[in-house]
Amino acid sequence: MNDRIAKRTGLLLAIACLAVGTLWAADLKNLTKELFVIPSTTGNEDLLAGKIRGLLPRGLAIEEDGLGTVAVRLRGPGAPTLLLAALDGYGHMVSGITADGYLTLDRPAAPPHARFDTYLLGQPVIISTASGPVQGVVSQPAMHLLTQERRKALVENFSLENAFVDIGVRSEREAREKGVEILDPVTFWPALTELAGEEWSGPSLGLKAVAAVLISVTESLTKESPSGQTIIAWAAQTKAAARGRGARPALGAVRAKAKWDPGRTVVVGVIAVGKDGTAPVPGKGPVLVLAKDEPTALRQSFERAATGAGIPYQFLAAADSPLAIPFASPQSEVLTVALPVQFLNTPSEVVDLKDIQALRDLLERFLRMGGDR
Amino acid sequence: MTKRLTVLILAVFMSGALAADLSQAWDILREILFVPGVSGHEGPVSDFIQQRLPAGFKTQRDGMHNVWFTVGSGKPHILFVAHSDELGWIVDKITPEGRLRVKRGGGMLPEAAEARPVLIHAAHGPVAGIVAPRLGYDVRRQPSDAPEAPFTAENFDIFLGVSTEAEARALGVAEGDPITPKKVLVDFAPGLMASRAIDDRAGCAALLDAALRLKAAAFRGKTVTFAWDVQEETGLFGAAELAKTLKPDFVFAIDTFVSTDSPLESKRFGYLPVGKGAVLRAVDSSNVTPRTEISKVMAIAKKRGIPVQVGNSRGGNDGSVFLAGGAVDIPLSWPGSYAHSLIEKIDRRDLEALTDLILAIISDWK
Repeated sequence: MNDRIAKRTGLLLAIACLAVGTLWAADLKNLTKELFVIPSTTGNEDLLAGKIRGLLPRGLAIEEDGLGTVAVRLRGPGAPTLLLAALDGYGHMVSGITADGYLTLDRPAAPPHARFDTYLLGQPVIISTASGPVQGVVSQPAMHLLTQERRKALVENFSLENAFVDIGVRSEREAREKGVEILDPVTFWPALTELAGEEWSGPSLGLKAVAAVLISVTESLTKESPSGQTIIAWAAQTKAAARGRGARPALGAVRAKAKWDPGRTVVVGVIAVGKDGTAPVPGKGPVLVLAKDEPTALRQSFERAATGAGIPYQFLAAADSPLAIPFASPQSEVLTVALPVQFLNTPSEVVDLKDIQALRDLLERFLRMGGDR
Repeated sequence: MTKRLTVLILAVFMSGALAADLSQAWDILREILFVPGVSGHEGPVSDFIQQRLPAGFKTQRDGMHNVWFTVGSGKPHILFVAHSDELGWIVDKITPEGRLRVKRGGGMLPEAAEARPVLIHAAHGPVAGIVAPRLGYDVRRQPSDAPEAPFTAENFDIFLGVSTEAEARALGVAEGDPITPKKVLVDFAPGLMASRAIDDRAGCAALLDAALRLKAAAFRGKTVTFAWDVQEETGLFGAAELAKTLKPDFVFAIDTFVSTDSPLESKRFGYLPVGKGAVLRAVDSSNVTPRTEISKVMAIAKKRGIPVQVGNSRGGNDGSVFLAGGAVDIPLSWPGSYAHSLIEKIDRRDLEALTDLILAIISDWK
């Protein structure tokens, strides 16, 4: 009899766990989709920040830093552990309006790679104005009118110098009547593509998936407190580098360090998958980035959290990201935990939904367990 | 009571008559754009057109998927032809890693498709993919590096989210499947948009709209053929097939006018602004329309108050195939910016002027 009850209870528990897992997965997918369509570039993080604020559990006090960073503090004993993710992605902004109504472009921060601007040629874009989104296209000469030489020159020399955004108007006045102003962010068309193998693709998808993960973790920890004091932050202006000598840390991270001075910091970021099947591999879980081959307490805590719950994870020996640099000191620990992203920093970043879920589960479990400090 | 009923019936009849007279070309275009029809695979577009043509027209369809119907009798015989195919690629091979290698199907800038989504139109439905960015796209190149290989359809591949050939085949993808860019509609404003395949779905929509609004009185005493032909982008092959049996006196090819209304192009020729009316594409790479015929079209347009622009540009048109058979080719268009790109631009007023012009020519051409 007792055996039967135990079996039934076990079965019910398993079903409940499965249901909760499925529920989380659905929530995380929806969250990612909701954030995906919100543009966010350095200096223009307000829309995404507002969206995140709206999605966070009610009653949490929001902390800000004056540049657009959003953070929440979950009370608990000890020095705070900071979970830090970027709020801003790469993109462009309106730098001018020509007399015939075309928009010229510039960047608020250096591009992630030399080809980034070339992805604009002949593409639809969104200009996020104060009065709402405006649809546009980046002009491309008609193929019929390009000689072989001109065609070669076009693709090899395309840059922001010859990127003109057509918003369907004929004058600067008409462009301004549509609400377009200098500095308005210009981003790739937010088309989400659902691929086979539980993979999604789209511009800045990695950034948005990580932001969604942190919201989901916050929701979960609000219901059941973490083992210690935790600050979860979405930092603005991480693509802008802080000025000074030596390494160029991300400005948003420098300010986070100054504001919260955490004992432990987990930078939650994105990382390019390896070439030709080398690590990191999509679908094999989040990546623990090892700047030094030393078993730190923070790293061991993550390994225990993952192993104990059967959460897949991978290692990669690589230099610390610009977000981690400010936190590396003898008094504090920092670890980058990253979501593997294929075609990173292109208009079609590919993420594996299993990795998003595993990243969420790993962060949640780590914060619940606490680990050695 | 009887009087009221009569007024009501009359109002219903009038509104029906007016509705039939109003152009539906814009709405048809926004729908037909999304029907896939890479050159050689136009079946779905032909189906779309046939399903919407009035039952009274005896449509014909050949093995290539050319679709046409003829009304009226007598001389002259006027042919209107728009092409139903679009640019894209064809699956050539599935690699052991589950990626697709492709063959090109018309002149599109491959770089514009790099790191962009596509749809593979497999037998059991569309499958999404991404044109993989070139290897080392994010690596800073050094001056001493060997020149980079050009990014072409022959050397890019498409990622499906799988990692083996078996997984790709399990999705239903096979060699020979057509591929199109994943299309989006950019709405600049009501009645002004950009998308892929405006060339020549706008022509198809204009012709379909004209067919739906055609009245028997208009073609009395003449023969009028409407045709939607295939494989224009890869060499006017559908038109060549039609030319074996159709012997028109006049052919009006309905296709894009490659306009230089854009910030990156010389205005030396082809500068017919978007939004300023339909176009008579007088001179292009395949045809020179006689000035006498241009004058006839312009006189009809003037009489009917239809805005029409005349210009010369580049590109060929299906009507040129009928020249050898004795026809006069008078291509009609709309001014299209950014031809053969993902962002071909069109103005509703131009499209509707074009359908009005088609109907006016049917009625007034001698």
